[in-house]
Amino acid sequence: MPLDIVVCVKWVPNTQIVNIDPRTGTLIREGVPSIINPHDLNAVEFGLTLKDSYGGRLTAIAMSPPSAKAGLEFLIGMGVDRAILITDRVFAGADTLATSYVLAKAIERLMPTDLIIFGQETIDSSTAHICAQTASWLKLPYIYYVIDARLEDGKKNIVVKRVLERKIEVFELPLPCLMAIAMKSNVPRPVTLSNKIKAKMENLIEVWNNEMLKLNINCVGLKGSPTVVSKSIPTPVVPRKKLKFEGTDPIEAARWLLDRLAEEGVRVI
Amino acid sequence: MSAVQQICPEWEQNVNKEEFKGIWVFVECFEGLVNEASLQLITPAKKIAEKLNASITAIMLGHRIEMMLNEPVYYGADSVIYVDDEDLATYYPNVYGDVLVNLVKKYKPELLLIAGTLSGREMAPYVANCLRTGITADCTDFDVDETTMDVLQIRPPFGATLLAYIRTPHNRPQIATVRPNVFNLPNKDVSRKTSSVIREHVEIPRPNVRLLSSEKVEKEAAIIEKADVIVSGGKGLGSPEGFRLLEELAREFGGVVAGSRKAVDAGWIPHEKQVGQTGKSVKASLYIAVGISGAAQHLFGIREVKTVVAINTDPEAPIFDNADYGIVGDYRQIIPAIIEEVKRRRRG
Repeated sequence: MPLDIVVCVKWVPNTQIVNIDPRTGTLIREGVPSIINPHDLNAVEFGLTLKDSYGGRLTAIAMSPPSAKAGLEFLIGMGVDRAILITDRVFAGADTLATSYVLAKAIERLMPTDLIIFGQETIDSSTAHICAQTASWLKLPYIYYVIDARLEDGKKNIVVKRVLERKIEVFELPLPCLMAIAMKSNVPRPVTLSNKIKAKMENLIEVWNNEMLKLNINCVGLKGSPTVVSKSIPTPVVPRKKLKFEGTDPIEAARWLLDRLAEEGVRVI
Repeated sequence: MSAVQQICPEWEQNVNKEEFKGIWVFVECFEGLVNEASLQLITPAKKIAEKLNASITAIMLGHRIEMMLNEPVYYGADSVIYVDDEDLATYYPNVYGDVLVNLVKKYKPELLLIAGTLSGREMAPYVANCLRTGITADCTDFDVDETTMDVLQIRPPFGATLLAYIRTPHNRPQIATVRPNVFNLPNKDVSRKTSSVIREHVEIPRPNVRLLSSEKVEKEAAIIEKADVIVSGGKGLGSPEGFRLLEELAREFGGVVAGSRKAVDAGWIPHEKQVGQTGKSVKASLYIAVGISGAAQHLFGIREVKTVVAINTDPEAPIFDNADYGIVGDYRQIIPAIIEEVKRRRRG
């Protein structure tokens, strides 16, 4: 039985190649390219694997600035069938509640769908909020940390395996439902050349703005966000002794270190 | 609130903040065990309670949990509200979430704290959204804004070089998660008692979800958040084999091995051993950082460490400015020398 799957992704700065200013210890963000959140690629792979098994269609959606189009092309290169870029200035400055609201309203337009999947969290804010919040807007069951899924009873239920700190659970959920895929739980497939050409040639990326979604502007972006950042202060620096061993001999260095540690009360006996 | 202010019609209209009183701590008690990360939340709850002149209530859900109800009281909770029901024997996010939402609607607390365990991180955003209120993940501290009496939820945003003070100005309750071991447990006083233990009977939703099986996974005993000595490796190790040397050194000190995010991204060490903003905060008395450059996110995870040692080939690496003792050089030579010296001293 074919599955209709929606995967939600985020376009984030590539923190994996971000360099650190050696003087200040801060991140150098200028010129850092954005990428699809790497944990979302596990969700895309998960969706593609289900599609391989059961057939169907995988649609990727992202609420992002227009530059995310490149990321959605990448996902089509991986095998995603259709992508939707939700972009509008009025969506800017959203916290997780306001973000999930827009995603939920977009998903409602894609209904009926069987499964809505997410990455476990993003690498830029790591809140892991969006899947649960979207489930609340859509009033559907959801589950996190999923590593495996298979269909039961034709298309009525899905059996999922998920991992918590000290246990592995198997749940049966009715479709449609939402799930967040455990980070690093699979290896995302590479982009193929033919899919990449398809992404460029065919018009597989739709752009949705608020003229189309017609959401109340008090419910989106900064205005629709119940949380506000009232101020930011530099993280206090922890004072350290900053003593360096002067020399190059490893044995001397080892003796110096153990002497210093002994002064601190670290005993090795 | 000014009359012209437009708020989202999806939100609860005209929330009267005055009606919301008290601090709630959701105390996980799955499978007969009170979660320590939940009890740690009583530490910041006490700080906020003092500023708001509020009391602290522990919320416990489950089945056959009566014998655990005193535990949060020993650590400082003033009262307990609990639901004991067969249908809560298994944690499932929608069910536990809906029960908690119903309790919040009835009692109207001003603040709800939830431990950022895996299940807490799964359930909390659902609860917040059902209540149409904000939520702040991974708070590392709290304060109170003295003009509005809003709780300031303090968290390091991406990069960890700044601390953001986040408020929920119009909605209630205010909801925050806190990762395990960010706060210490309050002192335990088994003579503490409360006269206010309320058993609530709420309707338990029955979604079409079934637990088919649950299997315990034995994890390695070494939990980095509790280790007294940590030897931690980064990208500078050059290969996963480098961790063997780190393990050998850790053994000499009776410690454990951890890693930076780059070491985790490279697949050299599992995520549960990652130190830093997106990993764990550690409280070791000795932290030896090997081949770790010292990004702000990493330093954030070791801010409570007593003594930091850095070993790195790059003399300009920021880690040296954030360490007590630094050695510039190749860890492949320095660590065997330290191990040898430790053994020599031990022999006397």
